[in-house]
Amino acid sequence: MIDWSVFGAWISAAMVVWIYSFAYRDNVFYKLAEHMFVGAAAGYSIALALDSLNRVMIKPAVTTPSTFWPNSWHYVIPAILGVLMFAKYSRRYYWLARYAVAVNIAVGTGLAMRTVPIANIVKQVTATIVPLWGSDPVAVLNNWLLVLITIGGLTYFLFTVFPKRAEGARPSPLYYAYRALYYIGIYGMMVGFGALFANTIMTRVGFLISIYLIYLQPQYWATIVAAILAAVAILLSLRKK
Amino acid sequence: MSLVVRKYVPQLIVSVIIVLSIAFYYLYINDSVAKGLTTADKALSDWAVIVTSFALIVGGVDILRYHLTKIRREGLRQAPFSAVTISLLAIMVILALIGWYWSYANPKAGITITTQPQFTWLYSNIYAPADSAMYSILVFYIASASYRAFRVRNPPALLLLVTAVIVMLGNTTIGGLIWPGFLGLRDWIMTVPNTAAFRPITIGAGLGTIILGLRLLTWREISWMGRRD
Amino acid sequence: MSGSISLGKILESRELLYTLLLISVILPIIHPLGIPIAVSARTKAVYNYIENNLKPGCHVYFEIYYEVAARGELEPNVVALTKHLFDKGCKIVYVSLASYGVVVFNLLKSTAADIFQGKEYGKDYVFLGYVAGGESAAASLAKSIKGTVSTDNYGNRLEDLPLMREVDKATDFDLVIIASSGTDTFAYYVRQWYTPYNVPLLFAALSIIAPSIEPYVGAKQAVGMLVGQRAGAEYEVLVGRLGLGMASMDAQSTSHMLVLAFIVIGNVVYWSRRLSSKKGGGK
Repeated sequence: MIDWSVFGAWISAAMVVWIYSFAYRDNVFYKLAEHMFVGAAAGYSIALALDSLNRVMIKPAVTTPSTFWPNSWHYVIPAILGVLMFAKYSRRYYWLARYAVAVNIAVGTGLAMRTVPIANIVKQVTATIVPLWGSDPVAVLNNWLLVLITIGGLTYFLFTVFPKRAEGARPSPLYYAYRALYYIGIYGMMVGFGALFANTIMTRVGFLISIYLIYLQPQYWATIVAAILAAVAILLSLRKK
Repeated sequence: MSLVVRKYVPQLIVSVIIVLSIAFYYLYINDSVAKGLTTADKALSDWAVIVTSFALIVGGVDILRYHLTKIRREGLRQAPFSAVTISLLAIMVILALIGWYWSYANPKAGITITTQPQFTWLYSNIYAPADSAMYSILVFYIASASYRAFRVRNPPALLLLVTAVIVMLGNTTIGGLIWPGFLGLRDWIMTVPNTAAFRPITIGAGLGTIILGLRLLTWREISWMGRRD
Repeated sequence: MSGSISLGKILESRELLYTLLLISVILPIIHPLGIPIAVSARTKAVYNYIENNLKPGCHVYFEIYYEVAARGELEPNVVALTKHLFDKGCKIVYVSLASYGVVVFNLLKSTAADIFQGKEYGKDYVFLGYVAGGESAAASLAKSIKGTVSTDNYGNRLEDLPLMREVDKATDFDLVIIASSGTDTFAYYVRQWYTPYNVPLLFAALSIIAPSIEPYVGAKQAVGMLVGQRAGAEYEVLVGRLGLGMASMDAQSTSHMLVLAFIVIGNVVYWSRRLSSKKGGGK
């Protein structure tokens, strides 16, 4: 009899190793792992959609109809719209799918639009209004940096309105101020992107470490066998070339 | 008439729902009206949840169609992996439906669509490790890019490199051995210059969202409807 | 001449780089270096917030929005936070707006079985499962959880769960923790939970997305942030339960040193070739 948990652990290790083998060369085991992944992912997303529909709509309608139908009868409308999404495969009635997409897009946009002005703009601007003088020199320096880099970054992204340098004429003070802010913005953003690069490495290496600890280390024989199979496949494909 | 139902009615739905969504949030007349508006707003959110679920199903069906077409065109010998994809998709959906049946037939067993044992086995041993590997394979390319592409050619690039080095040493325990100050310096970089650097990006993203919403509202944005007229 | 060219080609080959990276990650895990870790001020601030502001019996909403791949970075944070919250006597409602949250939560429970021991499902913690809809679902849950979903992940009706009789909407919670591998999730909760209802938010984020959500923390829209594996390891030290976070830090150190070496060597090689070709061109 197969021990399914052990077999599953072997499959997991093999899937990880075969997908990593793509970094070295494309090979037949990578293709197998990739297609298995796509099939499983598609099946899982369908299952989750059914689960969501069941919990939000179907189960309440079946188990507690007396409370569901008077208050939530309108759920039938998005259900019909959802079924109409399959009309996208029809050459003649493809436009029926647009109604459901319209609802989704509009709700998402509306939800974002009504809170973005406060959360993304007003709060960020008010957080940039900080005291530029005070008793604590470190806090004052931090505040100056915060304000200058924020304004500099906004200046950098301003593509339409900026002082022009007239031919032969001496540039205006406004032009110098704009260019100073522009370069502060660039250097400030370089600091941000440097931090982003360092954190990217941390995240990706963290993924690698956790995968090794969870899937590969417990099943090292399966890992070694899968690696040998992938190596043989790569060498054979190189020989064919 | 046909252009009206194909093009204008969906756009009208978008405009009406966006206006309603904003009105439900900001409009206040009195408490009973506010309560009604809150209920209507929640209903709108629930509609999106239901439609999203159907969209996921359509996505899965799309993959099925693609691979079936591939097998029909190229034959099973040329497209054996498509058969693997279709088989796994079908097996997982069937197992989910079995779980669904048991959730009604025997609720006390605690089996639902996503907790059906064989379904969970397939997810945990095929999807989860493959998904993890797909995400983490980027680390190889980042390491390769560090050697081959990260070139310091000008002062801004040098500043980027210096910041990256400081934050990398602050992120790791070995940086603390070299100089304990790296941790504090990393925290300072993250809270002051980094916050300031990403604030214009956050503001810009907010402005972009508002502009996109206004374009949808005024029927200027029609790419969501697809290419056909 | 041809020997140095082929050696150079070998040293520059990407396969060698990949293999060195794998060795730098695997070796310290097999033979740990035991490098000590210092706790950063930001992690301590999060720990102090929970210590000082949450009382026994408080309610916490915990969003699990990371895939299995991100377990290495976020699970140490989630486990340590869960331990801290349970030690404080808090009750937790776990939710996931991501389809993979269900499996991740099950893996979390199996990894941290000792933390959930002694805690009763339905009374001390509940897992609502996957709620489809993204920001719409977040908005809907903020208004009414029972109005959004009628059962938990295991098919139990919410009315039958004692914890769910105590909480239903955003303002019923004392803290919302979001552990996410995507930037959008934080924005959803800032927009749909903090902005309308002023519920305190706490972020646990991947290192890669921390820079982009830092503005929310700077604008005080979140009370604090735990960033990546390092913060997870620090929090494990603070709550007294070492786990995946600490186990990974040595490997993080060696791999980071390797990447730094790659950058330095790459630039040295580039500039030496550029300067020598300029000299040759100058003649």
